[in-house]
Amino acid sequence: MDAHIKKVYVPMTETGFYILLCLRTPNHGYGIVQTVKELTDSEIILSPGTMYGSLSKMEKDGLITFVREEDKRKIYQITELGEEVLNLELRRIKRLYQNAKEMTK
Amino acid sequence: MSNTKTQFKWFSIPEYDKEQEYLRQMHKSGWKLVRIGFPGVYHFEACQPEDVVYQLDYNQEGTEHKTEYVQMFTDCGWEFLFDFVGYSYFRKAVKDMNGEEEIFCDDASRLDMMKRVFRGRIVPLILIFIGIVWQLILQSMDFYGDRDPVRVFLLALFGVTFVLYSILFVQFAVQFYAYKKRMKSR
Repeated sequence: MDAHIKKVYVPMTETGFYILLCLRTPNHGYGIVQTVKELTDSEIILSPGTMYGSLSKMEKDGLITFVREEDKRKIYQITELGEEVLNLELRRIKRLYQNAKEMTK
Repeated sequence: MSNTKTQFKWFSIPEYDKEQEYLRQMHKSGWKLVRIGFPGVYHFEACQPEDVVYQLDYNQEGTEHKTEYVQMFTDCGWEFLFDFVGYSYFRKAVKDMNGEEEIFCDDASRLDMMKRVFRGRIVPLILIFIGIVWQLILQSMDFYGDRDPVRVFLLALFGVTFVLYSILFVQFAVQFYAYKKRMKSR
């Protein structure tokens, strides 16, 4: 993974994180918005401008790839590079959580 | 009483926040936006007063892939109005929202939007600006030797444009850094 990808995506925005997390199964932007809404009890509502921008940026950087179009909606899926970035981020979050748990015991 | 209304309003390039607020206030007082004509003539139609959030996006990729771009916004409940000088206009009623919604939900993407505006609108202006500065230097070099009114007029014209452009650039820079600072302080 090159330095640019690491610099831009680790740590990543909440939107970026949820996009990668959701795209382990193929989905379109609005599908991701709905999934995240359910996952977070409507606490996080991703916005279309942010979604559109993030998806096209991640596609350009090779973290996700376009699969097909369905009803005017682009379906994407995570790539190998995307998985790598997601795992890095997951590890970082786990460490954060563990440290917080220990410190607040 | 007439049920249409036009207003002339000037918003400089980085002032889309102000423009959004203006359109929201108009809708609140019973005037919904119908179209915008060059160079800033806003056409309204009488409507039921309602709190409706207006939002501007500037995304060339979106305007090139119009259908899927608009679809994403429509799916999220935003009505697409039209494009005007590269900006796409959207609106959504507050009653259809979960709290307050915007088309961007984090500062990273708000900053990306500013960067797109910068590349699309400000960079071309900087090139023209360099041309103006060059003309100013050329015109003023032998100004005292020649009081030709045409030359004086040209010099004044370039001078005024120079000042206007400078204000615009400073405004943009200030807003850009305010955004950046806000991001860092979180």
